[in-house]
Amino acid sequence: MSAHKTLKLIGFVSIAISLSFGALFASAQEKFGFGKPAHPDEIARYNSDIHTDGSGLPDGSGDVALGAEIYEYQCALCHGEELEGVPEMGANSLHEGRRDIKKLPYASSLFDFIRRAMPLTDPGTLSNDETYGLVAFLLNETGVIKDDNLTLDAKSLAAIKMPNRQNFIIDPASRFTAEDLQ
Amino acid sequence: MTQVNKTNRRRFLQASLASSAALLAKPASAQEVVLQPARSTGRTIFEAGEYGMPSEFATGSRLIGSANGLHGGARTPLSESHGIITPSGLHFEVHHGGVPDIPPHEHKLLIHGMVDNPKIFTMEDIMRFPSVSRIHFLECSGNGEQEWSSPSSPTTTVQQSHGLTSCSEWTGVPLKMVLDELGIKTEAKWLLAEGDDSSRMGRSIPMWKVIDDAFLVYAQNGEFLRPEQGFPLRLLVPGFEGNMNVKWLHRLELSDKPWWTHQEVARYSDPRPNGKKVVFSFYMDAKSVITSPSSTMTLNGPGFYEITGIAWSGRGKVAKVDVSTDGGATWQEANLQTPIFNKAHTRFRLPWMWDGKEATLQSRTTDDTGYVQPNYEQLYALQSPIGMMHNHAIQSWRVQQDGTVINVHHV
Ligand code: HEC
Repeated sequence: MSAHKTLKLIGFVSIAISLSFGALFASAQEKFGFGKPAHPDEIARYNSDIHTDGSGLPDGSGDVALGAEIYEYQCALCHGEELEGVPEMGANSLHEGRRDIKKLPYASSLFDFIRRAMPLTDPGTLSNDETYGLVAFLLNETGVIKDDNLTLDAKSLAAIKMPNRQNFIIDPASRFTAEDLQ
Repeated sequence: MTQVNKTNRRRFLQASLASSAALLAKPASAQEVVLQPARSTGRTIFEAGEYGMPSEFATGSRLIGSANGLHGGARTPLSESHGIITPSGLHFEVHHGGVPDIPPHEHKLLIHGMVDNPKIFTMEDIMRFPSVSRIHFLECSGNGEQEWSSPSSPTTTVQQSHGLTSCSEWTGVPLKMVLDELGIKTEAKWLLAEGDDSSRMGRSIPMWKVIDDAFLVYAQNGEFLRPEQGFPLRLLVPGFEGNMNVKWLHRLELSDKPWWTHQEVARYSDPRPNGKKVVFSFYMDAKSVITSPSSTMTLNGPGFYEITGIAWSGRGKVAKVDVSTDGGATWQEANLQTPIFNKAHTRFRLPWMWDGKEATLQSRTTDDTGYVQPNYEQLYALQSPIGMMHNHAIQSWRVQQDGTVINVHHV
């Protein structure tokens, strides 16, 4: 191959490389420009998740009595009168074994899950008050907080210290330390 | 007149048939052989259907397990799978709230939280980004959970014990490229991925993984995703447990801390021998299984058999697979099908002469990080005898003298 041809080839290869995304734009400020800005109202409609410190918990409150009533009508069919679980409905016990509510590290996980995913056949229909009531009922039933008059709202739910919290440890492979997770 | 001719003709035919039968004893000349009639025409091209279906004689179908149809799943027929790619219709699925079929023109992806400019993308927006196609396995971390403490049954098949893993070519857009559009704030360390199914499945994913190789996927094996795989959009975090590869992806939120969602703390976490529970155990570690011969198959007498199976690792490429026919006393290196892909099923094969005596077949893989697949004894020390998720122990199949194969634990 002549020197002239080799040079031409090198030129071609370097053009091909510069076409990979890194160098697609002349400056870092330049973008593809796809998508449209998300308005705060739009974000709020979908942003339902709750952090372990309670941030994201909605307004409202509910007590054990309200929770017991909702449980009876909307949950017992699958989870059983005594929280024992109804295997034919595919639901586990909520007071023993792997899905034991006492074993959860944070009450926020329970509130978030019930509000987003339960009842299985009709999720997203529980009001905030009903969800607070259900968490109060379940924590009372499983003995985490033995108080038949327990009422929960954003502040009191965020303050709950679950008894099993210290038994959760971090997978070293996740490359995070305990502090990173607080 | 006519009558006579017909009779004559018949006589002639009979005579020639007889002589042709006699000729068969001698070397026949080509035109004297009676050809096997051709097959009938079968179905017409018009009947082919606009989407081709397998032969009605082809075996291999998924095994469905669910009490209520809304949560549960279906397992891939591994013993009837060949090579490394799982056809989309045989890919395993696990759901927590049913399977929506979302019109793509209605689907949107919201990205917000610790970004400079929160944005909403339509499917059209997402598909305009430069795309990539990559071959990756996907495995539910509950794969093999019933086998953990003891074999669930001698007749448990490889589909039942290992069928929650599959491998596809996925096409989509690197998530980092999309996030760069919005500007990632330096404090952002975690990403919440949320699905638009009835359960609004949510998982926390570390940003280093997002930056490394996560991608937004819209196609599988050359066609759009199936509804059960998250059509029109799913997340792929290659090598991480199946549940994190959130389907029907509609929201991503960046934060400085993880969410500890119920799914990640109650379901997808691992008990340890000391009573502790490990959270955020994302990796699907190196694992392999012999798919043939395997439980419920019968070997038809001593002689040649090919031992074959699949190996994979969530941490990289399969470096080697060793096979034992004597329950781990001695090992032989199997042949690996090439090319070997990163975080993908890898087919292994080993020729074997069965001598007709009882044999315990095992496979053990080593990935390119040097991690060696453990046996059950080692796994119990590592995790817990009562553990459930992330069972990646060596599987043993026992070939009995009569040729039948059963599921056993051997160390
Ligand atoms: C139609 C049956 C059904 C009904 C009704 C139902 N659940 Fe469930 N529930 C399930 C199933 C199935 C799961 C497991 C879901 C999964 O796979 O993630 C579950 C999971 C849960 C969990 C988490 C424990 C676990 O197994 O992961 C809680 C807590 C819970 N349900 C609370 C409730 C409450 C409170 C109600 C009433 C408002 C309710 N459920 C109504 C079937 C049901």
